[in-house]
Amino acid sequence: MSVIEVRELTKVFKIPKKEIGLTGAIKALFMPKYEQKTAVDRVNFQIDEGEVVGYIGVNGAGKSTTIKMLTGILVPTSGHARVLGRDPHKERVANAREIGVVFGQRTQLWWDLAFIESLNLVARIYQVPETRYKKLLDQFAEMLELKELFHVPIRNMSLGQKMRAELAATLIHEPRVVYLDEPTIGLDLIVKERIREFIKEQNQTKSTTVVLTTHDLGDIEELCKRVIIIDAGRLIYDGPIETIKQQFGKYREITFETIHSSERVTLPSGAETTHVEPRRLTVRFDRTLTTASQVAAALMNQIEVKDFSLSEPDLASIIKQIYNGALNREAA
Amino acid sequence: MIQSLRRNVSIYSAIASTAAKARLAYNMWVWADFFATIISMFIFVYFWRAVYAGETTLSGLTLAQTINYILLARLLAPLVETRTIYFFGYMIRQGQIAVELTRPLDMQLRVVVETFAELATFLVQRLPLFLLAWLIFGLQLPSNPAVWIAFFISLILGQAVLFLFDWMFACLAFYVTETWGLSVVRIGVGSFFSGALVPLVMMPGWLQNIAAAMPFAQAMSVPVSFLSGITSLADAPRLWTIQIIWLAALLILSRVIFSITVRKVTVQGG
Ligand SMILES: Nc1ncnc2c1ncn2[C@@H]1O[C@H](COP(=O)(O)OP(=O)(O)O)[C@@H](O)[C@H]1O
Ligand SMILES: [Mg+2]
Repeated sequence: MSVIEVRELTKVFKIPKKEIGLTGAIKALFMPKYEQKTAVDRVNFQIDEGEVVGYIGVNGAGKSTTIKMLTGILVPTSGHARVLGRDPHKERVANAREIGVVFGQRTQLWWDLAFIESLNLVARIYQVPETRYKKLLDQFAEMLELKELFHVPIRNMSLGQKMRAELAATLIHEPRVVYLDEPTIGLDLIVKERIREFIKEQNQTKSTTVVLTTHDLGDIEELCKRVIIIDAGRLIYDGPIETIKQQFGKYREITFETIHSSERVTLPSGAETTHVEPRRLTVRFDRTLTTASQVAAALMNQIEVKDFSLSEPDLASIIKQIYNGALNREAA
Repeated sequence: MIQSLRRNVSIYSAIASTAAKARLAYNMWVWADFFATIISMFIFVYFWRAVYAGETTLSGLTLAQTINYILLARLLAPLVETRTIYFFGYMIRQGQIAVELTRPLDMQLRVVVETFAELATFLVQRLPLFLLAWLIFGLQLPSNPAVWIAFFISLILGQAVLFLFDWMFACLAFYVTETWGLSVVRIGVGSFFSGALVPLVMMPGWLQNIAAAMPFAQAMSVPVSFLSGITSLADAPRLWTIQIIWLAALLILSRVIFSITVRKVTVQGG
């Protein structure tokens, strides 16, 4: 069953244009000029019950704007969104009862209250039955290691603690649809890992539908079978993560720090330099044609290498390659 | 219908008790507040004694009546300050409004419940100050329970009027970025025209007219005048009617203005 349905969804922001000088300010007061900013541009997708979908794109791509339209707090300029059969804006409160939202850097918890008090209140607001609440509280406390946080107010929590608390509060009413807008931003690996486990567990035991916004490919790889990529408001890919992995798993990059500058190096076939600076050289290679050690060995034969590091491709380079035709756009 | 009422009572009573608890968490400020209030009572009492300087009555009030009124006004003065503007400012900085709008709640009802729970807690916390005012300055409180009832009814109505006014005023926070300035203006004008500094009957006629056209007196001067004995019980029905008219008008207006403001957020994105 399709839980989220988005058709030709578009959001155009009107931004007042500032003009320079006093006459400009007066003109702007009486005849305000606006700049149009299309944040989400005719996006279509459909998400089924129990799916975990990675909604990814670089900063400013339009991820949060889409999530806000799906939660009903922004009205689409055109096109439409349906969540659990409802128009999320027209039926904002009814929609709110059945969804959960985490907005990365914000909190739904009361800043000055001990976390457990906040959580009790959230449970009451969503009318979670008493016995169910007790049971979930125990489960969540264990999975997210919340026990020692119960009496800490949110304002005294670290970023990682805050996010664990936030997730518990978001899922305590067992929402059918959960939107997580950059839930792991700024967190260390151990906390990220714990949060991913928790989300995975909730999805598997309750078939909660999860839309996860991020620019961290690690989150996506661990949680999602399907990704939707948007760039500058347009949907540029919607399909299995496997396809992306196969395609981009092909390439790796090695960055070399060298003692002397040298621009001219010969590399094994399948490898090419992508970035040259004095004393720093980045080489990308195709793993089906050559290996990291062959590339490194070849380079070390030619120049003195001080240090080198291997990196996975990042989201920006994947998007660049999608534009260069590396993947069929909107492949099914 | 009954079910949704039960649900609402359960939700909003939990919100009220949480707000009260949060208020109590700021216990360390209570003593500082007591101290500052006693100092301000000293200043006001000496000021009014000097103003009377041998006169028996001013604008029909005896010195004893004026001092009694002013002591009560000092004790209740924080009731005409406002948390709503602060709350709206907080929602707009960092876009917290997005989070607030994803809660399955009526935001105005939620905030009014929180505000009243805090005010009630605050009054209870201040009870020892009433005792001190009696010991130090000879504060007189009425013994007739009917006067107390008149006071509480007009206090609740008046505070509701003020809340709704502040709700509309706070919507300005969505259009200007300077919410600190808004609260300074609001608290200054509000204190003066509510009668928290000077009994309104002592003001020149034109100032009294301005005060009557503003909602602030409803929340301070009207209830305090009952308690201090300036207003007689016979006036109660008339004063309550005025308060209820204020309340009805502001209820409609504040909801309309708020929904326009929310439209701005949801359509333009803040
Ligand atoms: N309220 C707003 N008013 C004007 N422009 C906005 C507003 N919110 C977002 N934008 C613009 O829309 C684009 C998409 O923003 P957003 O959805 O927040 O991106 P993301 O979450 O992918 O980083 C950005 O260019 C951003 O500047
Ligand atoms: Mg974002």
